[in-house]
Amino acid sequence: MGVLRIEPARAQAWAARSIEAIWRAYDLQLTIYALLLAAIGLAMAYSNSVESGTAVMASGSTFVRGLMWAGLAIVVFAVATAFDYSWFRTFVWPLYLVNLGILTLTLVIGDGVGGVARWVAVGPFQVQFSEIAKILMIIVLAHYLAGRQQRLNSPLAILGACLLIGPPTVLVLLQPDLGTSLVFVAILGGMLFLTGASLRWLGVLAAVAIAVVPIAWTYVLKDYQKQRLISFLYPQADPQGSGYQLLQSQISVGSGGWAGKGLTNGTQDRGNFLPVQTTDFVFAKLGEELGFIGAIVVFVLFAVLIWRILVAGWRARDPFGLALAAGLASMIFFQFVINVGMVIGVMPITGIPLPFVTHGGASLISLAFGLGVLQSMNIRQARAEW
Amino acid sequence: MSSVTGDMPVVDRRILRFVAFGVAVVIGVSGLTARLFYLQVTHVDQFTQQATQNRTVLQAIPSTRGLVYDRAGRPLVVNEPSFAIKIRPANLPETKRDAVVAQLSRLLAMDTADINAAIDSSPGSRFDLVRIAQGVPRDTANLIAEESEDLPGVEVSVETQRRYVAGTLMSQILGYTGPIDAGELADLKDAGYLPDDLIGKTGVESVYEEQLRGTYGMETVERDAVGRRLQVLETNQQAEPGNSLKLTIDTREQALLQKAVEWGMRKAGLKQAVMIVENPQTGEIMAMVSLPTYDNNAFTGGISSKAYRKLLTNANKPLVNHAISDQYPPGSTYKLVTGLGALADGRVGPTERIQTHPYIQLGLTKFWDWNRTGFGPLDMTSGFAHSSDTFFYQVSQRLGISRLSYWAQQLGFGKRSGIDLPAEVPGIVPSEKWKQDTYGQQIQPGEVLQAGIGQGYDVATPLQVLNAYAAVANGGTLYSPQVVREIVGPDGAIVRPFKPKVIRRVKAPAADMKLMRLAAREVVTSGHTYNLRELPLVVAGKTGTAEFGARDSQGRLPFHNWFVAFVPAHGDVSKRDSKLAVIAFAYDSNTVGNVATEMVKYYLQLHYKLKVDKRLPYLLERGNFYGGN
Repeated sequence: MGVLRIEPARAQAWAARSIEAIWRAYDLQLTIYALLLAAIGLAMAYSNSVESGTAVMASGSTFVRGLMWAGLAIVVFAVATAFDYSWFRTFVWPLYLVNLGILTLTLVIGDGVGGVARWVAVGPFQVQFSEIAKILMIIVLAHYLAGRQQRLNSPLAILGACLLIGPPTVLVLLQPDLGTSLVFVAILGGMLFLTGASLRWLGVLAAVAIAVVPIAWTYVLKDYQKQRLISFLYPQADPQGSGYQLLQSQISVGSGGWAGKGLTNGTQDRGNFLPVQTTDFVFAKLGEELGFIGAIVVFVLFAVLIWRILVAGWRARDPFGLALAAGLASMIFFQFVINVGMVIGVMPITGIPLPFVTHGGASLISLAFGLGVLQSMNIRQARAEW
Repeated sequence: MSSVTGDMPVVDRRILRFVAFGVAVVIGVSGLTARLFYLQVTHVDQFTQQATQNRTVLQAIPSTRGLVYDRAGRPLVVNEPSFAIKIRPANLPETKRDAVVAQLSRLLAMDTADINAAIDSSPGSRFDLVRIAQGVPRDTANLIAEESEDLPGVEVSVETQRRYVAGTLMSQILGYTGPIDAGELADLKDAGYLPDDLIGKTGVESVYEEQLRGTYGMETVERDAVGRRLQVLETNQQAEPGNSLKLTIDTREQALLQKAVEWGMRKAGLKQAVMIVENPQTGEIMAMVSLPTYDNNAFTGGISSKAYRKLLTNANKPLVNHAISDQYPPGSTYKLVTGLGALADGRVGPTERIQTHPYIQLGLTKFWDWNRTGFGPLDMTSGFAHSSDTFFYQVSQRLGISRLSYWAQQLGFGKRSGIDLPAEVPGIVPSEKWKQDTYGQQIQPGEVLQAGIGQGYDVATPLQVLNAYAAVANGGTLYSPQVVREIVGPDGAIVRPFKPKVIRRVKAPAADMKLMRLAAREVVTSGHTYNLRELPLVVAGKTGTAEFGARDSQGRLPFHNWFVAFVPAHGDVSKRDSKLAVIAFAYDSNTVGNVATEMVKYYLQLHYKLKVDKRLPYLLERGNFYGGN
């Protein structure tokens, strides 16, 4: 199945359909929810730029960079929507190699805070390749699982999926980025579950994962990671040390109250009490400035977005589409729970971004790409609308 | 399951699993919502309060420290804006400390050891600022502010710094301010002192600290996580500037006195010398010079430990005000005590003549007169004028140690004068009790003889000797000397006017005091002080040559020279109207003649602008008072 042979056929099929039919199949809700979440992220970036006292529209300000990334994300989304999603299946294995390549590159020439390798400098930007790797891995896994749909009761297929996702997970863990490697595990679990893998073998997989914890604690986890887990359990132990971030983020959220202090009025950000307030801890700032009501709006947006993704998966005309949607839904849900949970003190601190809201180019573009593929799937699906 | 195209594989959809996933999402979102509700709704007050505590802090507003003026109103101290470098140890990671200290050391040209010592000896907690340097040049301060990224925990603050206009001339009087130390902070924390505060360390800066400091204000400040001020939210209390001081000392008079001391020291090769001028009518110190001295401006910018150690280990103790903080045998100047006491107690008649000898023998010991031929029979006036030792040995024997110590104390010996300068020492007046307490022995008869001529156990500060003569010059009032005349409020109003402080009325008859004044005049007119009598000025006074230390190869002791004098206001020493008493003390003088007398003579010529110069430089040549002349 060469790329060139298939592509003209798909283009013809698309052209044959009426614009109206495409529009009816296009999930406008999904797009709107995602746009709203991204807009909230931009509002946070704007607020941060105001509070840090720099010119909001100055080049290089958090807000301007956010706008730029959002613009690029919309383009990527549109392009991904236009292409037939099953086209990606034709070069899944090269994609997998690219995936391993960029993660290895990150380890070799990557940069980060405190001796970790997270980003690779691409021109003036720092690109976190592991964000791209998550989406690529979803495509690779979807392709793998789609090809074995009738055999998912077999432990071999499950083991195969594990072997596929193993190398990128380990490469990310070596950065070391425990959070993102856990996202890979969550993606795998969610995809296996929704594509119908045997519950018995999934249970065995879960049991093995839990058994790995003490071994990981002893041999894999770095001291700072253990420290974060400890400070998650006892944040008051060292309020100026690693418990600081946890305490300050809860103070930020807690002091927001019902309606929040208002955009750009967060005292925790202005005083820099809250670290990384536009990236991993953006929800703390959101809670402080937009309050309980604003946070609930975000929760609802995530819930309905995940719902629309699941709907897309349900309507998919092939197992690949279903698996793709399962992967996206799992990733977004897991990151949402872990990130918000971390900010409000019910999950340990890991460097996982809040999808769409966190200020970060690679994350937003990857998500736009993923949703674009999903929309491509929607407009090409053959099932009746719900 | 429906599919449009036949080549599409069948999709295995499991509705339960989708529902289960949906339920998981609902549970997850609900759980997060519950927690959010707990934080934002039920505990909003607690977290709001914590957020407020986070960002606001009550900070002191430093008050403007009062100034110091001389008697004529010339400013001696100015407050200049200056840059200080401080470190908040809590914000300086231990791993970066060496690098930060090294960089500061380079930028500030300070020893790393001094910076480390400052951090380690910080009196406050890790969250309090530690003062590293003050008086930092603007360029350096800017550089440090610019490099703040590489200098975590380092802060630049603008404050006022003392600059002492008169330099070394007034250092001993004014003292200086410096960073508060742990002991001072412990005592003064409740009075509003801060760990990075400045405090008067010595001189009037220290004695009048409370007046000069004023009252710090308080303001509520919004700050960021590393403690940088963002804005002032509220001024809780305004700072009140401190009061200013007006000294009794005129800088021009001080300069004249210093000129006289410097001349004597240079000519005689002295290592230490003191001169003091006092107004006997009020106890006001008109000038006070103790050399060698130091530059108090060296302390305001933070003195390096090397420079400080150099000052501390200097054998001539430049940091010590020898006029009040060191005590020496007063020698023959003490004969005032013996003479006045014997007259007042009726042990010696005003005109009674006593035979003098080359020496007085007690047991096997010979107590020599300085004039080894004796003077023949002398009365009190001529005995004092010739400073006959054998005369005063006999007077002292008649008086006895108990009455001698009584009169010494009457004239202010053995007790601090109470001058408003720090570190005054009390001197020693030997008595039976003192000897018992100190040595567990009785006073020996020979020690009574020694005590009568200001030798043996007798030690006094130059100020005590001067103050005793001032009391006799004014007819018997012993004043507590003062260097601060008035305390002036920030608005220029006098807060505390000058008031002489009387220690006591000396319990001696006026006639006896008058006799001692006349005797002191006789010291000059008899020629005992060489050509001092040739000055167109009536001066009365007393010389002293006080032996100390260890004998040389020829059995001679090193000696200090004293001369204490007073000038009657209208040329009549029988009157008690003198407004000028002056003392000179030359440490280890080792000269042919009395260098102290020459120094006083020179000062009087300068003070009264006399058109004559009667100084006798040959007396200041090296030699021995006894052996050489």
